[in-house]
Amino acid sequence: ALLAGSRLLKGYRGGHVVIRFALGGCTNRPFFRIVAAHSRRARDGKYLEQLGCLDPLPNAHGERVAGLNLERLRHWLGCGAQLSRPAEKLLGLAGFLPLHPMTVTGAERLRRRRRAQEAVAPPADGSPGPGDAP
Amino acid sequence: PAGGKAARPAFADEAVQNLLYKMTGLNLQKVFRPVKQELKPPKYKLMTEAQLEEATRKAIEEAKEKLIMPPVLNEREPIDDVLAEDKFLEGTETTKYVFTDLTYSIPHRERFIVVREPNGVLRKATWEERDRMIQIFFPKEGRRVIPPVVFKDEHLGTVFQQDRHEDILNMCIAQFEPDSPDYIRVHHRTYDDIEKRAKYDLLRSTRHFGGMVWYLVNRKKTDGLLIDMIHRDLLDDATSLITLYHMLHPECQSAKEAKEGKLQGVDLIKVFVKTESQKEGYIQLALQAYEEAMATSTAS
Repeated sequence: ALLAGSRLLKGYRGGHVVIRFALGGCTNRPFFRIVAAHSRRARDGKYLEQLGCLDPLPNAHGERVAGLNLERLRHWLGCGAQLSRPAEKLLGLAGFLPLHPMTVTGAERLRRRRRAQEAVAPPADGSPGPGDAP
Repeated sequence: PAGGKAARPAFADEAVQNLLYKMTGLNLQKVFRPVKQELKPPKYKLMTEAQLEEATRKAIEEAKEKLIMPPVLNEREPIDDVLAEDKFLEGTETTKYVFTDLTYSIPHRERFIVVREPNGVLRKATWEERDRMIQIFFPKEGRRVIPPVVFKDEHLGTVFQQDRHEDILNMCIAQFEPDSPDYIRVHHRTYDDIEKRAKYDLLRSTRHFGGMVWYLVNRKKTDGLLIDMIHRDLLDDATSLITLYHMLHPECQSAKEAKEGKLQGVDLIKVFVKTESQKEGYIQLALQAYEEAMATSTAS
């Protein structure tokens, strides 16, 4: 029953539906649920619908398992839901959406950083290298 | 292996299924043998003759349902289909991602299960990965995510020594898909062991008998089975076995002779024995013993 001051039906001012990750699990053992919720709700609070899950730790076969309910995802996107950045990146990796530009940029940055480190490290190891790489 | 399995008569043809079903037999005592379930005190009912017949008829209907044969399919082709190649993602991650489509209303065969490898390639998942993911998200009773160790070749031998062929075949049906290589391998191994030790009666009146007969007829190893049938005085089954053999190998000698002469019963068996079988001596002996038994029983 909806008494005055009841906490069952919370009304917000503004806000929109987002599809984002809700963190669950235990200490040192994360587990994400891909969830459609109001943007003003708590991250792990009441959601509209669960659309899938993601286990960030690799399993015995060395794979990170993710499930996506694509039909309901399409429904919520059709209703005008927005996506959080990690959700966009995950869907880009899955192939449902095109690859996120930040994924590409992140890969580029990582490669540049690794090349810089490799250029610094071998000359410090002993064999005289060509000097500091650009 | 012998051709003609999928060419002319297939396993699922009506005629073939009828023959196999007749050979399976209907031993109500064995079909409704007590399965391990929770203990309930027995219920006794007082019935007239008519009600008893009615109950037996219903029991036969249910037994027929339990004896429906699982399908025999060819091995499935491995999937290797690349959806996208993004080489610049190489080195960002160390483990692969497996994405499963969790839409409830699509059949499992058409579900999208894709894998993003660490080198950036987005490909469709292999059959083993598919089976595992589907079992994780849509668990089926009696199936485990990682197949039990008992299905490996070293351990199948122990199972066969304990004469538990039927149990392992039931477990195999629950665990694997009918067209997976593991299912076919376990079934063939079981049938070979039964044929080696001539323990055909273990599978009689179960739903695996048809599959076993199909396997043996395709590889022309029917002699042991024929001897076993004659020993147990199942001449009808023997004739249907030979009819099935002729349906599958119409170019062999005995098939042509049978078609010309339109032989029935014991003559059919004799023609088959003369031309096709390897263990002629044994089958002739068994036939002689059977005929003597028939003669003495009709005489006395």
